[in-house]
Amino acid sequence: MRVVLAEDLYLLREGLKQLLSAHGFSVVAAVDNGPDLLRALLDERPDVAVVDVRLPPTQTDEGLQAALAARRELPGLPVLVLSQHVERLYARELLADGTGGVGYLLKDRVFNAEQFVDAVRRVAAGGTAMDPDVIAKLFAQSDQKVGRLTPREREVLELMAEGRSNAAIGQRLFLSESAVGKHTASIFGKLGLAASDDDNRRVLAVLAFLDGR
Amino acid sequence: MTRGLGALARGLLRGGYAVASAVLLVVHLVLFVPGLGLGIIFLLPWPMAQLRRITNLVRRSCGDIPTPYRDRPGPPEREADGRYRHDRRLYRTPFWPRQYRYLNWVLGDAATWRDTGWMLLNPVVGGVLGAGPAALVVGGLAVATEAGQRAVYWIPVGLALIALGVVVAPAALRAHDSWTRRMLGPRAEVGSLKAWLGSRFFTLLRLAALGGMTVVTVGLAVLSAAVLALFAVGVVGAVPENAALTRRVTAIRRRLAEQWSGVPIQTPYRPEPALPDRRPDGLYAVGAHLYKSSGWTRFFQRLDWIWHDPATWRDLLWTVTDPFVGGALVLASAGAVGYGLIEVAIPALLRLARAEDPPALAFLADRPALALVAGVVLVVAGALAAPAALHWHGRWSAVLLAPTARARLSMRVEQLTESRADATSAQAAELRRIERDLHDGAQGRLVAVGLALGAIEALIDTDPAAARRLVADARESTARALAELRDLVRGVRPPVLAERGLVEAIRALALDSPVPATVAGALAGRAPEPVESAVYFAVSEALVNAAKHAAASTVAIAFTHAGGVLTAVVEDDGRGGADPAVGSGLRGMRHRLSAFDGTVRVVSPAGGPTTVTLEVPCALFSPKTSTSSGRDSSNS
Repeated sequence: MRVVLAEDLYLLREGLKQLLSAHGFSVVAAVDNGPDLLRALLDERPDVAVVDVRLPPTQTDEGLQAALAARRELPGLPVLVLSQHVERLYARELLADGTGGVGYLLKDRVFNAEQFVDAVRRVAAGGTAMDPDVIAKLFAQSDQKVGRLTPREREVLELMAEGRSNAAIGQRLFLSESAVGKHTASIFGKLGLAASDDDNRRVLAVLAFLDGR
Repeated sequence: MTRGLGALARGLLRGGYAVASAVLLVVHLVLFVPGLGLGIIFLLPWPMAQLRRITNLVRRSCGDIPTPYRDRPGPPEREADGRYRHDRRLYRTPFWPRQYRYLNWVLGDAATWRDTGWMLLNPVVGGVLGAGPAALVVGGLAVATEAGQRAVYWIPVGLALIALGVVVAPAALRAHDSWTRRMLGPRAEVGSLKAWLGSRFFTLLRLAALGGMTVVTVGLAVLSAAVLALFAVGVVGAVPENAALTRRVTAIRRRLAEQWSGVPIQTPYRPEPALPDRRPDGLYAVGAHLYKSSGWTRFFQRLDWIWHDPATWRDLLWTVTDPFVGGALVLASAGAVGYGLIEVAIPALLRLARAEDPPALAFLADRPALALVAGVVLVVAGALAAPAALHWHGRWSAVLLAPTARARLSMRVEQLTESRADATSAQAAELRRIERDLHDGAQGRLVAVGLALGAIEALIDTDPAAARRLVADARESTARALAELRDLVRGVRPPVLAERGLVEAIRALALDSPVPATVAGALAGRAPEPVESAVYFAVSEALVNAAKHAAASTVAIAFTHAGGVLTAVVEDDGRGGADPAVGSGLRGMRHRLSAFDGTVRVVSPAGGPTTVTLEVPCALFSPKTSTSSGRDSSNS
């Protein structure tokens, strides 16, 4: 799987390169600034891009802007955005086109290599990977909306919003996949969301619902 | 010279307009006779509409005066039954409704009648102002050339006339255009005669009240003289009291100058000093003198403060001079009206009406008709002069009652010293907080990680299971340290603020706010970083207050930048009643912004809503990023 990597800190860039290579990805370009990133994304058309929000030369949200610009050119281009902080504002912008294939994680998440690589694979496959911090912020304001869910259902919903499949949720909560399926159906019924067999579309619907969009 | 000649030529063109308006006048008169006399009113609007062609031409050439007319009505619309309606009648064809609409459009427009007034007066006024200077030149030429036949001394007279024509030409041109603007320009507000008289009347009343105050001032001057005389013989006690009284009177005068004359005057006095600290020997020092009791200390301190404030002496000078200058301004306006009415016009009128035992006339007792004219002229002149007199009265007050440039500077220095002290102490507190957070948080965690790594090194061969547990601990510690650093950074310089500037940062803040908040407005660029940061934290404070204290259910935040001032308004729908004097949050906000000469205004009546307005003077810079596209993709 071909990856474009954008990160301005040398140590972190090299670390990510090694991590991804060790897990069978081939890093076709590793850049350290916004303009180079946009060029690499459009030229290489990678299977997935791992991008730091803040990049030189301006040290503003150049990575995010380049990723969004590339996705306007190549709709659905899978992008996993990494940052030292997570903002609902940015999550919203990444999700806005409704096509999926986006991820938004804190840089800390690379500590757990297995989960991080899983997130990269999920995004590359057109799925979604939202940081638990973003989901926590969404839940903090959705008390009324999710008030009728049982604690177990809330747990399932949180993991679903992060972008995990039923199988992964089951593994995480020590439930069978069919039990998770039952919870999911109940959650969708209570929230009045249209059920969907497609995992990605289901995640996007849940996120849109929680974000109040 | 060339200016004068150019003005002469343009004046001649305007003389041409005078001729055109005279011709139009004749056409109107010809059509008015059948129009009004025989009742063929449809003859009337046409020449009036034609008049507009000429007046529009005049407007264009006399300094681009905007047209005042209403828009022309559209064609009549067909009713459902196929007929056309005008007022409360239906017609089969649109002809009559169209005629009526046209008639209403032309005759119902006040501008039409002002055009007509212009047409009546312009042949004379416009002619004189426009072609007058040219006529002077031509006349001068005629006199000078004819002079040879009569007497030589006519030559300079002719030349003088020519010079006069050239010299007055620009002024006449300006006068012509301003007269045209007055007649043909759009009327800013419909000023009725009644409103005009009313405003004059109030202006005169205010002048009369100021005249009354001048009498008080005379008393004050006498009192001050007495107090100074007492001081000269060693009785100093009355000086501070007298100054306090004077300051009270001048304070009223400053307020009236602002409210009535539109001349804001700052208070010039130095701030009253606080009681000094006791010396080690228990005495208070005021200058070179030492006092035992705080009462005496306070008294002499007050005396010293008042005596050495230049504003005290300027006040005194004012009490002496105001009766003359201010008094003269009042006499020239309100005085003239009162005198003209009571002493001249009314007695003359009574005399003319042959009333029994008429009151004495101030002058022209044997020519009451002339006296009546003189009285009316006095009243009108006084009324006309009133607004200017009121304005100059305020300007005069500012001469002595406003702080001198030096006093203003020293006040500014004081204010800057205070805000600098605020800013530096706020900064120091901030650094202290950061240091403490780092010390207690991230630093400690990193030490723990280092210790764990050391232990792992020792255990990795002997007890791999324990080493693995320690690795997990170390990872946990780094995650915690990162989370704490993240929170710290958020409090120092929020990431979105650094990345996208003020408005987007507040948008991000509003998304995380427990109270639904909307953010409106956009800034054309980025404010200086410290200003952005100060405004960000002030708005965030206001947002927290709205959620915590006001129990608001929605908050609206709006940003604007106009006239070099960045304004942020935070309005909630909560219960109000916030007292800016009590809340430490509001005080903090004020301190934060005062370093940039910014202000915080809180309007919070009991029952709500609360509006917090932050204003900071600052310039905007073009944003550093070139990629601004995609910003609008957030659909909130």
